[in-house]
Amino acid sequence: MSDNNISGIEKVKMASDGLRGTIKEGLADEVTGAISDGDKALVKFHGMYLQDDRDRRDERAEKKLERLYSFMIRLRLPGGFLTAKQYLATQDIAGEHTTGIIKITTRQTVQLHGLLKSHIKPTIKAFSEAKLISIATCGDINRNVICAAHPKQSPIHKEIHDYADRISQYLLPKTRAYYEIWLDEEKLADKKEEEDPLYQDRYLPRKFKVGLAIPPNNDIDVFGNDLGLIAIIENNQLKGFNVAIGGGMSSTHGNPATYPRLATVIGFVSGEERIMKTIYEIVTIQRDYGNRNDRSLARLKYTVDRLGTDWFKEEIARRTGFALEKERPFEFADRKDYYGWFQNAEGHWYYTPFVENGRIVDEEVSLKTALYEIAKTNKLNFRFTTNQNVILADISTEDKPVIEKILNKYNIISYTESVSEIRKNSMACVALNTCPLAFAEGQRYLPSLISKIEPILNKNGLEKEEIIIRMTGCPNGCARSYIAEIGFIGTTLGRYNLLLGGDHQGMRLNKLYKESLDEAAILDELNILLGIFAKERNKNESFGDFTLRKQIV
Amino acid sequence: MIPADKNKQIQELIASLDKPALIWLKGFIEGVISKTPEDAGAVAKTSASGKKITIAYGTESGNSKKIASVFAAKAKQEGIQTKVVSLDQYRFTDLPKEEYFLTVISTQGEGEPPSSAKKFYDHIHQNGFKLPQLKYGVLALGDTSYPMFCKAGEDVDNQLGHLGAQRIIDIQRCDVDFETDAQSWFNGVLQKLSGQPSLNAPVLKPAKKSSGKKIYRGEILANINLNDRGSNKRTHHIEIASEGVQYKSGDSIGIIPHNPEHLVRAIIQHTGIDPEISFVHRDETCSAYELLHKKLNIIYLPERVVSKYAAHIQKEITPVKTGLLELLTLHPVKDASHFEAFIQQLEPTTPRLYSIASSLEKFDGEVHLTVGRDAYCVAEEQRYGLCSDLLCALKPGDTMDFYVHHNDQFRLPEENKDVIMIGPGTGIAPFRAFLAERDATGAAGRNWLFFGDQHFTTDFLYQTELQQWIETGTLHKLDLAFSRDQQQKIYVQDKIKKQGDEFYNWLQSGATVYVCGAKKMSEDVEIAILEVIRQSGKTEGADEFFNQLKESGRYLKDVY
Ligand code: SRM
Ligand SMILES: Cc1cc2nc3c(=O)[nH]c(=O)nc-3n(C[C@H](O)[C@H](O)[C@H](O)COP(=O)(O)OP(=O)(O)OC[C@H]3O[C@@H](n4cnc5c(N)ncnc54)[C@H](O)[C@@H]3O)c2cc1C
Ligand SMILES: Cc1cc2nc3c(=O)[nH]c(=O)nc-3n(C[C@H](O)[C@H](O)[C@H](O)COP(=O)(O)O)c2cc1C
Ligand code: SF4
Repeated sequence: MSDNNISGIEKVKMASDGLRGTIKEGLADEVTGAISDGDKALVKFHGMYLQDDRDRRDERAEKKLERLYSFMIRLRLPGGFLTAKQYLATQDIAGEHTTGIIKITTRQTVQLHGLLKSHIKPTIKAFSEAKLISIATCGDINRNVICAAHPKQSPIHKEIHDYADRISQYLLPKTRAYYEIWLDEEKLADKKEEEDPLYQDRYLPRKFKVGLAIPPNNDIDVFGNDLGLIAIIENNQLKGFNVAIGGGMSSTHGNPATYPRLATVIGFVSGEERIMKTIYEIVTIQRDYGNRNDRSLARLKYTVDRLGTDWFKEEIARRTGFALEKERPFEFADRKDYYGWFQNAEGHWYYTPFVENGRIVDEEVSLKTALYEIAKTNKLNFRFTTNQNVILADISTEDKPVIEKILNKYNIISYTESVSEIRKNSMACVALNTCPLAFAEGQRYLPSLISKIEPILNKNGLEKEEIIIRMTGCPNGCARSYIAEIGFIGTTLGRYNLLLGGDHQGMRLNKLYKESLDEAAILDELNILLGIFAKERNKNESFGDFTLRKQIV
Repeated sequence: MIPADKNKQIQELIASLDKPALIWLKGFIEGVISKTPEDAGAVAKTSASGKKITIAYGTESGNSKKIASVFAAKAKQEGIQTKVVSLDQYRFTDLPKEEYFLTVISTQGEGEPPSSAKKFYDHIHQNGFKLPQLKYGVLALGDTSYPMFCKAGEDVDNQLGHLGAQRIIDIQRCDVDFETDAQSWFNGVLQKLSGQPSLNAPVLKPAKKSSGKKIYRGEILANINLNDRGSNKRTHHIEIASEGVQYKSGDSIGIIPHNPEHLVRAIIQHTGIDPEISFVHRDETCSAYELLHKKLNIIYLPERVVSKYAAHIQKEITPVKTGLLELLTLHPVKDASHFEAFIQQLEPTTPRLYSIASSLEKFDGEVHLTVGRDAYCVAEEQRYGLCSDLLCALKPGDTMDFYVHHNDQFRLPEENKDVIMIGPGTGIAPFRAFLAERDATGAAGRNWLFFGDQHFTTDFLYQTELQQWIETGTLHKLDLAFSRDQQQKIYVQDKIKKQGDEFYNWLQSGATVYVCGAKKMSEDVEIAILEVIRQSGKTEGADEFFNQLKESGRYLKDVY
């Protein structure tokens, strides 16, 4: 990204009249399915990205048709929570206005693709009728707040989950633009009402992400967030949170100044008011000190490294009026989803099926149809996970058989059980054909690659190993490929950097092992590495730890 | 120039004359000059003068109009009181009062009169009245490559006869190279008027001789289906290179499609006719195979041909349009010779016309087309139009023959005048040519296009080119109607109404309106425009206003 382009986006934000820009005019322009560059940047704050079907560019150009433009819309679901009714609405809307595919993201929410300009308003109206909203799920602002997904993890899961909600609300922008443009709300008589002390008219220099983890599971990859909160629980009471800042995955090929970084724990805070104040001021510091000239260096992680964690702690204290306490001990065991049935403290039941790369479709099994039928019973809630899965949640013991019957009717249970461990522990980002930044395939390719890796594991007797494989089509790391045991990062069509050495807890970045390998080379390498691993591993040693110990990376 | 001795005589003569005499001489000489030898009619000058004639024309593409005005100029020279009028402007009440009534009329469709002559044609056919004192003559324009050669003209000629009018001269049927035939016919008229025995009474030409069209050979440069995947349609953009091809924006090309070989073979098989046996067809000898493959309409016989066939095989057959093979299968011929005897009663394949979508200003030596692949069903079987299907299947490098069908009725106005173009579907073709020309010539007038089709994402023909023209300021307004992108259907006429005031303003400021595409659409559009004039013009005289537009050539259609 070039500098003038950047200051460009900063200018766009400030001139946008509360994120309004010329979006309305753009919607009225029937000659193109796209919108102006300025508005492109602004609609992100409303939860949408202008995209085009990259598979179709050349063919459409020959036909004298413009690119096949459409929008991707992302919902705001703090902690990934959705009622059955809301799920039904979402699937209906997906069918009526988009590709019909619900895509569960690595941040616990859903995206719908292929939304035509003329369909945006009806879509957002329909969502709003279901009490769903897409505001601030993209753009230089606080994104969807993620939270440990599985209620089984703690009896006080709800209490922590409510924090996700509260933080999400707390960090929303004040502008009414979203309601005016998409929901035809009356223009404000007095603009003062939408004055925004937090975001002002500049918003943040870059996206901002908050996540809450409940040890011992780090399913949300808390250290991958700009602001990570680790719940400190003592005999089933929430004491407060350890605060970690400056996490972020992305780097840019050929730009050494950019790098993935795990968040640094800088202390502990307790008491709702103090917790919220601390969060708030961390955001204002990033607002005031984040780099606004170079977007590739604008994330909080660079601000932290530039000014130092000590300075940061002092600045927080200066702004909140109190200092953070010393961080409390915590321990993470793993980052996985608990497939199958589980019962939580209150006796509610939870079922987690396997959703490959978060795509709810009728393919190997008719998952889409099954979930729809299940939602129709209205006897449950839906909770999406940051591993791109869904938890059928809060099911009473009486209702369990009803749900189970439907699951069996569509072979969801047998399918989930039949899926291999690595597949269950793998993730891929969207990438082609919709992601404009993709160099290589992501979710469209990983499944077939895994099918070729499975035999290697089997012949080495490793089929039970829960090796975490993650693939992204570019170095942005949307599937957090930098904290996988085996990370694939696309360099160009059909080629990937191979990264090794991540752990199971998400406390360690992996390292580059080999650059730009094609499939054959990838399989050769894994064939050798997994062969040695099978022979020379220590008891219970994970593949990631092994590759480090053996100094393979 | 003038030999010395003659010059001497002239000088002497002039010297010997006084001023009035010289003035008379001047006039005399002018008179002599005006009687140029090829101007045979002039012989009649003195006697024909003082007579009153009306020359009424019915035209689609302007030929009849052109001829009519040439005639008029000439008649005036002869001192004849001459009125020229288009048949759609002609007041029927004047008919009984006419002295000499000459009609120049072309044939369109399948033997129909031009749309502008439809009212007149229907009027005289509704009988119920007589025109005893009317003296008339008909010049029929046509094209021998159409089965119903000059049918409309013939009908008018006969019908006026039935109404008791007196034919002063036999009808003259003209092929596309009409100039000389038309000339001599009018000379004949002038002689009648001057009461002299016609020297060169026009000989009646039977409907034969291959027409004098210039046939071009074209080579396909590109052939692209403009509709995206998932569209219900197939509309091909075809680029054809043809050395030295000449046309104006607004013209179309004509193509005589060959029949599919498998169909021809099937017919030969079925009838047992010898494919090599030769026939004389319009002055040229060609084999039965050639006839069936290249010349005759075998895919969809009109009722009249079916009836002829019924007579030929002496059988009762309800005359409905059908393909020749279907007919032969249902009602077989006795044997090969039985079919041979019928073959020449088949009609020639009618040319298919396609609006030219390019401008020589931009693509010299090229013709671009926008061809919709015509699809229809016969007994659940999906079939495709003969010519459009052939065109859509052409590959780069393939060649094809065509002629240019000029249309002087569908031309751009002066460069500083505004233009409103209404062309949904393939109707956009001539407007791509218009815009290309106005772009290339930097014309100052504003351009407004109404386009429509089924779906925005799949059927927006020439989308990127139109976007370019908007950016470069060539296309000032573009209104779109995609009928199936929402519950309620939206068509171009709805967009016209939506833009009523603006539309009316453009009309007020002298814009010319062009409509191209499906006939049905053009009817709805016409209604919409009338409504707009009524609404936005807030005038009672909406129809009058609209008529003015038509008369002044500011409302032009090229519909099919
Ligand atoms: C859908 C999702 C991946 C998935 O398959 O689940 C995704 C998809 C995209 N990400 Fe991401 N990111 C997604 C989670 C992430 C994560 C993981 C996380 O947050 O835990 C990261 C790494 C963590 C981080 O932020 O550092 C991530 C780092 C990026 C970046 C790099 C940001 C940076 O600091 O440079 C970009 C590019 C950018 O922002 O310029 C990006 C941009 C994008 C865009 C919107 C491409 C674009 O900017 O036009 C992708 C849309 C593709 C498509 O067609 O849907 N996405 N993105 C995830 C949606 C999360 C959500 O619901 O909000
Ligand atoms: C001035 C003018 C300009 C034109 N410009 C364009 C243009 O720019 N682009 C364009 O695409 N077209 C244009 N057309 C229309 C074009 O000339 C043809 O009429 C059109 O392509 C159909 O011709 P065809 O040979 O493909 O179909 P045909 O074979 O002639 O069939 C036409 C119709 O006849 C019927 N039919 C034919 N055979 C049978 C059968 N055996 N049984 C039952 N029904 C049958 C069907 O209803 C079919 O739809 C124009 C026409 C005119 C007069
Ligand atoms: C669509 C179309 C159909 C035609 N049909 C006939 C026809 O049936 N018989 C005929 O003799 N000429 C037919 N013609 C040829 C025209 O009559 C001929 O081109 C004539 O010169 C047009 O004169 P105009 O410009 O005054 O209309 C047809 C032309 C077109 C464009
Ligand atoms: S990682 Fe890169 S390719 Fe994959 S979704 Fe994110 S931006 Fe697109």
